[in-house]
Amino acid sequence: MKKVFNKKDMEYLISLFLSIVVALIIGGFIMMANGSSPFEGYRALIRGAFGSQYSLANTFGRTVPLILTGLAAAISFRSGIYNIGGEGQLYLGAFAAAYVGITFTSLPGPVGILLAIIAGAVVGGMYAFIPALLKVRYKIDEVITTIMLNTVAILLTDYLVNYPFAASQGKMGGTDMVEGSYRLTRLVPLSTFNTSIFMMSFIALTIYYIMQKTSAGYKFKMVGQNSSFANYGGIDAKKQMIIAMIISGGLCGIAGVFEVLGTHYRFLQNISPEYAFDGLLIALIVKSNPIGVVFMAIFFAALKTGSITMENTTSIPSELVLVIQSIIILFIAGEAGFKGMFKNFLMKRKLQQKVGEE
Amino acid sequence: MGQDMIELKGVTKQFPGVLANDAIDLSIEEGEIHAIVGENGAGKSTLMKILYGLQQPDKGEIFFRGKAVKISNPSVAINMGIGMVHQHFMLLPSFTVAENIVLGIEPRKRSIFMDYKKAVEITQDLVRTYGLKVEPQLKVRDVSVGIQQRIEILKALHKGADILILDEPTAVLTPQETEELFVVIRKLVKELNKTVIIITHKLQEVMALSHRVSVMRQGKLIGTLETKDASEQIIAEMMVGREVLLEPLEKTTVEGKTILEVNHLKSRDNRGLLALRGVNLHVKEGEILGIAGVEGNGQSELVEALTGLREIESGEVMVFSKNLAGKSPREIRESGIAHVPEDRLITGLSKDATITENMMMGLHDQEPYAKKGIHTNKQTIRQRVETLIKKFDVRTPSQDVLVENLSGGNMQKIVIAREFAFDTPILIISQPTRGVDIGAIEFIHQQIVEKRNEGCAILLISAELDELFRLSDRIITVYEGELTGTFNNGEISKKEIGLYMTGKRKLSKEGGA
Repeated sequence: MKKVFNKKDMEYLISLFLSIVVALIIGGFIMMANGSSPFEGYRALIRGAFGSQYSLANTFGRTVPLILTGLAAAISFRSGIYNIGGEGQLYLGAFAAAYVGITFTSLPGPVGILLAIIAGAVVGGMYAFIPALLKVRYKIDEVITTIMLNTVAILLTDYLVNYPFAASQGKMGGTDMVEGSYRLTRLVPLSTFNTSIFMMSFIALTIYYIMQKTSAGYKFKMVGQNSSFANYGGIDAKKQMIIAMIISGGLCGIAGVFEVLGTHYRFLQNISPEYAFDGLLIALIVKSNPIGVVFMAIFFAALKTGSITMENTTSIPSELVLVIQSIIILFIAGEAGFKGMFKNFLMKRKLQQKVGEE
Repeated sequence: MGQDMIELKGVTKQFPGVLANDAIDLSIEEGEIHAIVGENGAGKSTLMKILYGLQQPDKGEIFFRGKAVKISNPSVAINMGIGMVHQHFMLLPSFTVAENIVLGIEPRKRSIFMDYKKAVEITQDLVRTYGLKVEPQLKVRDVSVGIQQRIEILKALHKGADILILDEPTAVLTPQETEELFVVIRKLVKELNKTVIIITHKLQEVMALSHRVSVMRQGKLIGTLETKDASEQIIAEMMVGREVLLEPLEKTTVEGKTILEVNHLKSRDNRGLLALRGVNLHVKEGEILGIAGVEGNGQSELVEALTGLREIESGEVMVFSKNLAGKSPREIRESGIAHVPEDRLITGLSKDATITENMMMGLHDQEPYAKKGIHTNKQTIRQRVETLIKKFDVRTPSQDVLVENLSGGNMQKIVIAREFAFDTPILIISQPTRGVDIGAIEFIHQQIVEKRNEGCAILLISAELDELFRLSDRIITVYEGELTGTFNNGEISKKEIGLYMTGKRKLSKEGGA
């Protein structure tokens, strides 16, 4: 069957493309204002992101948490419940993995890894279940509760790794290293790029399948678009929201697990440079489309790794990429408004022409 | 009739995607009742908004008593003597009638305080002058819709209106209230030399009331006729742009046993007030039971309670001798009730989804449309949707079109197609043709009757009495959450039924129903 893009999708893709181009151009002007050549800046950025095996490994390594948190945000947004608590779920998931890795040390490697992943997913999912329940039972705004629960989770793990689970040597704000056989194999020397990319791909495919090809995905979408319609059609909207939230939390938890097993080999306070918030932005930009999440995550990861090289080789600060990201968001958020203005303008022109012809 | 009071020349208004008014030429004569008719989206309301200063035309001129004017906002219109009564009233429910009437130009004491006594006097003066009876001291929330409309009219007259624009004034009125309104309008025109522009889509009213009628279609003014030279048929054809065939709807089935029976049903509305006070009714196989009532008398709550969308306080909903009270919408659907809801955009559809996605609701986890209830089987779904689009004449280039891009009539056909195709023994249909054009109305009516003829038990709720009288085998009336009467269609006139709808008459206890 042929894939048909409807008009709205097409319009969206065009405006996304334009947003990115304009954001990059504005970024270029900022580089010029900074006294640097935008061409050199962007060349350094691209080289830093894709220029060598090492930089490619870094870029794709970074996509692992971004795709997971991006999909987590996408599935919750699509179901009409807004999980802004991904960061907290990620921290708890990461801690759960570290706990498994330092407590149950005698399991065979694959079993230990699987157990850590399950533990992370369950902890993350349960942590998302709390605000979901508050939302459907008592109509407490999940945006507020999830944001607040982030702080709770981050401070709780701070405490845990500084006191009861502090590393046995030195005060470093982290746990002990996880059992050696649970550590994920690194694929490129010097980089942290590891086998979690395969597991992530499997998970992402599963989520894609659920969201796009199953009755469950249909239910999520209908609940998110119009929950009255869903209820009327026999879908239990509240139940779907809770399920979506648990899946979302689970995905963030797994993102945390991979940071522990693949990157740091231990839980660290500040383990995530706000991956879950990047995930939210990614999902927002691509309007919760799972394939879009993958591409946008790669773009975000490239900007981030590239910016470090850019900062080192030119005098442009790496924060520039934040500006670029924000401008894209701004344009996408304003899409409806811009589109309306543009359409109106065209319409007026057409009308005037018509009038002129008379 | 006098000379031209208002003249529009070449008025054009463009909205993104639609030309709402396309070079409209229209003249309104002093002292006439001028009806403006057209289907939804024909541009009637936009034109009136331009006249009242709520919208600015892109092009064209407006002349008032021969002078070119620019109506840049409603206060300019009011100063010229143009008053408008909107379809949805603009009244403050917690204020009294007098306060509402003087709102905006309140009489004052010491230039700060409102002079309430004076406001009441003003109101009483208005009542005397125009013969529109209202009680100045009552709160607006305590008066009926008909009275609220009078208040709106008085408000406009108080501001010095010589031309009154009435937007769909009878949409919310009972037959009696409509009659009273017409008396008032005629009096205003004949005795007080006012000019009235009435927007409507009910052709009988046009014929009964107006001197001249202007017909609009797709943003164009098709023509203006002297009403005495026109007929409903001619006007309908001008509105639709083709011949309208009203085929007779024959009953070709005999009624069978009762399959839906509701006993002592009680339920509360969103504010927690008792909206259904012990409703009893039954529907037989091959029967259409119509429910007549002024909107807001429990019809919506009844439908929601029967379909599992509203909590039931007490009572039974028996379907094939199984009590469905308190069951989920899903269980109720599976027990054999399909439902066309009153508001397609709130409940009946997701406008952001495609036609396919809207039509697969309810089948999304059923074999063969979902393999093992999980894997969506696009092919079978698309085949089904294709068949339904053809059968129900949904006008769309493809089934991947988003529903928001369709007309009201086509949206409604999607809801009806989906629900009818479940082939349930019971159908609950609420406002099947609200905001739907004439051609589609005719089609939908035929589909409903066909369903009945197949032996379906149909509960039909409609605010349009004409519709109920055309389709129902039996009609029951509701007033304030109680049944006030039950009649075989043909036993009772529209006028008479209005008395039951407003609780002025009641059958002792609904025996058989």
